[in-house]
Amino acid sequence: MHELSLAADVINLVTEEARKNGLSVIQELLIEVGDLSGVEADAFQWALELLTKETILGKAEILLNRSPGTGICKSCEREFEMRNRLDSCPGCGSFPSEIRGGQEFRVISMVGE
Amino acid sequence: MCETCGCGKPDDFKIHDPHHNHHEHHEHSHEHEGPAHPYTHKHDAHEHYHEHEHDGHKHSHPHDHGHPHDHDHHGHHDNHGHHEKKEIPLNIDILSENNRLAERNRGYFEGKEVLCLNLVSSPGSGKTSILEKTIQALVSKRKIFVIEGDQQTARDADRIERSGAPAIQINTGNGCHLDANMIQQALKKLAVENHSILFIENVGNLVCPAMFDLGEKKRVVVISVTEGDDKPIKYPYMFQSSDLCIINKTDLLPYVDFSVETAKKYAQQLNPKLEFILMSAKTGEGMKEWYDWLEKQL
Repeated sequence: MHELSLAADVINLVTEEARKNGLSVIQELLIEVGDLSGVEADAFQWALELLTKETILGKAEILLNRSPGTGICKSCEREFEMRNRLDSCPGCGSFPSEIRGGQEFRVISMVGE
Repeated sequence: MCETCGCGKPDDFKIHDPHHNHHEHHEHSHEHEGPAHPYTHKHDAHEHYHEHEHDGHKHSHPHDHGHPHDHDHHGHHDNHGHHEKKEIPLNIDILSENNRLAERNRGYFEGKEVLCLNLVSSPGSGKTSILEKTIQALVSKRKIFVIEGDQQTARDADRIERSGAPAIQINTGNGCHLDANMIQQALKKLAVENHSILFIENVGNLVCPAMFDLGEKKRVVVISVTEGDDKPIKYPYMFQSSDLCIINKTDLLPYVDFSVETAKKYAQQLNPKLEFILMSAKTGEGMKEWYDWLEKQL
């Protein structure tokens, strides 16, 4: 879902943060893409690599931290990892009554000089 | 453009003036609210605006530099080119600006006691027809306002106005969803009254609108019986983020292979709290149940 545009937005905000912190080149960028965030991580990574070429991120190592959500089984109340929104309880096969986390989409940190 | 993710070109969404069919509107007469860099964050204590819990949110940071967060070197540049490598924690929610504007919209609606509903669906499920019938039935008892979203044309806003309610059309151009900023801009032209109902008819799309809070009180997903009863599991995010599911065009059930039971089962698996209304806007089936549901939300 419009990962190219999301990548452009991230580049803008990181460039501004770099400016505020007196950095002229970024060496590492760490972004969290939750598995349930709605963002397609591979497409987003590709888009970032494509769009950063002529920017202060041009040589940066871009690390995407994928994080799963946690489902609470509605039958046995077990907590289980969810990597997509259709995952069900590995114990009894039921669906979650509640989903926690896994929806983050944020820039965690940058390293530069 | 959606100012969160940039889909479409900057400033490319258009909000028609009321009674647009009497004017030519080609200038982008809206303002873009907000700072040039649309995000908010704090550097301390990982405080940031979003709705998600951190329980069960396990991940490891794949690097550990051991670099001190040494801001004394801020602006330290010497002629030898020795630059201190700095790790800057940012913790910026990329969608935070939309969420912030959505909460502003929400506060505005609460203050005016306006019931705001976000109608989402594939194109052609019958959202506009449902609204036309609703307006004709209720407008003598309750003020109704509508914000319409489509890539192009004002045809839906025209239909709404002909059925008796004021409507504002947003054209997203290439954009695939409405966002909170567009709604905020539209509200400047619509003059929604206190104690009214505001329907937002989103762009027909079961994928992208799921991610964008508009400030609504409830989200209503509409599917029609011609779309297949496995629709919910094909688009889980949309069904997980909705409050009411309207299954429309029930008058066509004799002609299609659609099991209402199966569709409800799939949707309930994803979202146990989802409510359902079976409806035919054409014949009137389910409309009373819908009006009762609306009254309950007020």
